[in-house]
Amino acid sequence: MEFGSIEREIHVEAPPEVVFEVVARPEHIREWWYAESEVEPTPGATGELIWGDGDDPRAQVVPMTVVVAEPPRLFSFRWTHPAGEKAVDGNSLLVTFELVPSGSGTLLRLTETGFRERGWEVAVLEQQYAEHVAGWETFVPRIEEYAVGLVSAR
Amino acid sequence: MTVAIDDGLWSAIGDPTRRRMLDLLLASGTGTATSLSEQLPVTRQAVAKHLGVLDRAGLVQATPAGREKRYGVDQAQLERAVAQLNAVGNTWDARLRRIKQISEAISKSK
Repeated sequence: MEFGSIEREIHVEAPPEVVFEVVARPEHIREWWYAESEVEPTPGATGELIWGDGDDPRAQVVPMTVVVAEPPRLFSFRWTHPAGEKAVDGNSLLVTFELVPSGSGTLLRLTETGFRERGWEVAVLEQQYAEHVAGWETFVPRIEEYAVGLVSAR
Repeated sequence: MTVAIDDGLWSAIGDPTRRRMLDLLLASGTGTATSLSEQLPVTRQAVAKHLGVLDRAGLVQATPAGREKRYGVDQAQLERAVAQLNAVGNTWDARLRRIKQISEAISKSK
């Protein structure tokens, strides 16, 4: 079982061409992610996602690099790599939007991977906790909740 | 704020040796740089350095024990790390709902 990724699916009653624009274009990213961005949906395009907070217009700045842009069926990018570093497997999270025509609308599939490489091996830790339960009664249910959330999305 | 990732925390647990150290500390309750280095293919000095990173991220807590420090996992901070992973999934659900709304509004207006 793979715990190192997030997968979601949602049906959108709009054609893939429209959905692609919304997930990939900076003027729409501003609306659904509340992030300022000037990154064009072109492979290799790189820049920043910028969140303001009260007085600070650059309260949170996160690098973003487009990996694949094949309208209207595929858009993927890497983000959270350290500023100044090239986004590669291991230093960033990879977000992929896959768009599949469905009736008069679109099935939008999201995956986000890289947690295992970047962060934390939840599966390994869960096993450790199961073997060494003392003190972890409050913690394990949260892991399960998290795992079920991931698995139920597939 | 929709970014649910604390970089200090994530980079602290992003290193395989440090994750192995957390595993060992969870297994045995507490440990010192010496006891951990005996169970790992790295030097005591390297272990001490990794413990410093985990300490700064709040994932372990040190208590003096003779000439060494004895480390234990900070449960609250570990919970926070898992809560963040959980939050990542939840925030994507919210983002996808907005993507759906915006796309459908555009589609209707055409």
